[in-house]
Amino acid sequence: MKLGRSGLLCLMAGTLLVSGCSSLGVKPWQRDVLAREEMRLDANPLDAAIDDHLYFSKEASSGGRSFAGGGCGCN
Amino acid sequence: MQLKPKVSPGQPTSTRRRLMAASCALLSAGAARSQESSAARAHSGLLEDWSVDSALAYYHEDGRVQAIEPVVDVSKVFADGESLNFNATFDALSGASPNGALPSRSPQTFAGPSGKAAHAYTIAPGQLPADPHYHDTRVAAGGNWTLPLTRVDNLSVGGKFSAEDDFISATVNAAIAHDFNDKNTTLSFGIFNEFDSLHPIGNTPVPGGDITSLVRTSGKTKDGVGALLGITQVITRNWLTEFNLSVDRFTGYLNDPYKFTSIIDSGGNTTGYEYESRPDQRTRKSAYWENRVAWTAQLSTALSLRYMSDDWSVRSDTAQLHLRWSWSNRERYIEPTFRWYRQTAADFYTPFIIDTAKQSTGFESADSRLGAFRALTYGVKYAQKLPGLGSRAESEFSVRAEYYQQTFNEQVSVPASLQGLDLYPGLKAILVQIGYRF
Repeated sequence: MKLGRSGLLCLMAGTLLVSGCSSLGVKPWQRDVLAREEMRLDANPLDAAIDDHLYFSKEASSGGRSFAGGGCGCN
Repeated sequence: MQLKPKVSPGQPTSTRRRLMAASCALLSAGAARSQESSAARAHSGLLEDWSVDSALAYYHEDGRVQAIEPVVDVSKVFADGESLNFNATFDALSGASPNGALPSRSPQTFAGPSGKAAHAYTIAPGQLPADPHYHDTRVAAGGNWTLPLTRVDNLSVGGKFSAEDDFISATVNAAIAHDFNDKNTTLSFGIFNEFDSLHPIGNTPVPGGDITSLVRTSGKTKDGVGALLGITQVITRNWLTEFNLSVDRFTGYLNDPYKFTSIIDSGGNTTGYEYESRPDQRTRKSAYWENRVAWTAQLSTALSLRYMSDDWSVRSDTAQLHLRWSWSNRERYIEPTFRWYRQTAADFYTPFIIDTAKQSTGFESADSRLGAFRALTYGVKYAQKLPGLGSRAESEFSVRAEYYQQTFNEQVSVPASLQGLDLYPGLKAILVQIGYRF
């Protein structure tokens, strides 16, 4: 199997990412702060959804944080 | 399907996002259940074992559209980690929606999309042309099911359906997430497929056609497909980061059937209008980076950055900051928000057409959402824990307000006779929302 330049770069980036991540993080008993509501990635899902839809209907960009698309005819 | 202030969570937090959140919730479950559990995690009483999140939002644009929108979202996490989520949304919109035409020194009269005489409207000199009879309603419902496959793998599938007076949309999505590094790292990959059907009032205009032409076609469709690859990493005890790469592609009828472009002569006089004509495919790519940091027991921040580009030559940058300050033993918090956004114009965007000369690409649109502008959002939210309903431990009431403002770049030189008119009026809007969850 022959890896192209981009494939090799992805492989190297992936290896670095995984090895880098392995040195990060906390132990299970150190998750008290991470367990707070405001540390959840979807801490306020309705607020985020309402804002996303506002921006979707008024701007040319959407998505990134989650899937783009709209499911509405507003844009 | 006109310009619609989509203050709707009909765009539910995606399957992938929920999956990522579910992973984070699971990996932090122990401590969370001991003392920091969310108000939305009550376990008995009304809708036993279901968490209910609800909101009522009111959106108002300065001199244009207003909308009111109730939303409800219910979810349940089972003992084995499996979870279900359902949501429903209703939108009611009314007001004046800009039709894309340029302000003029002379009165301008337009027929409404229906063609009925009662829907014709006249715009005074110097005013931005907008259809004052705009109204629409929308109902949407969606659901997601997350299923643990192994101790470190989760599968999630979901769907959404929404219907408007002139638009129907169905979306399916699926995602898989894998935890490793002592569940400090989560890799996820998700895909979605969207199917839209358009049935504009008065039927579908021919892109680029004269608005006085009676040539119309029947309903149209557009489809979208996309993928998102994400990684979530616990950096330290109080720092969580997420990085996503996503791409999506939409094909089909991508025009707004109610938008058209003014045709002017060299003197700046409007000589006619033609419907906008966009390409029938669009591919977008974006990179997103979010950091959540708890600085103290009271203060935390969530900072996100996004870069997006598409093959219509739109490039955008977004930065958003949420700052939360909690007090009274975390029973109350206030959350100021600031968002900065800018975008470049699509390569076929033009506020007007000189005579009948088309853009070099053969496409044109005067839709301001495809122009170059900056936008700022200022917001604040206040939330307070309350006694629970029935046997639930607690509930939460919140109220928030946002002010949104777009400022357009002047993009082309205009004939002398049009100078002094506000050709790029921008947009000012407010959003007020109350929420209750238990």
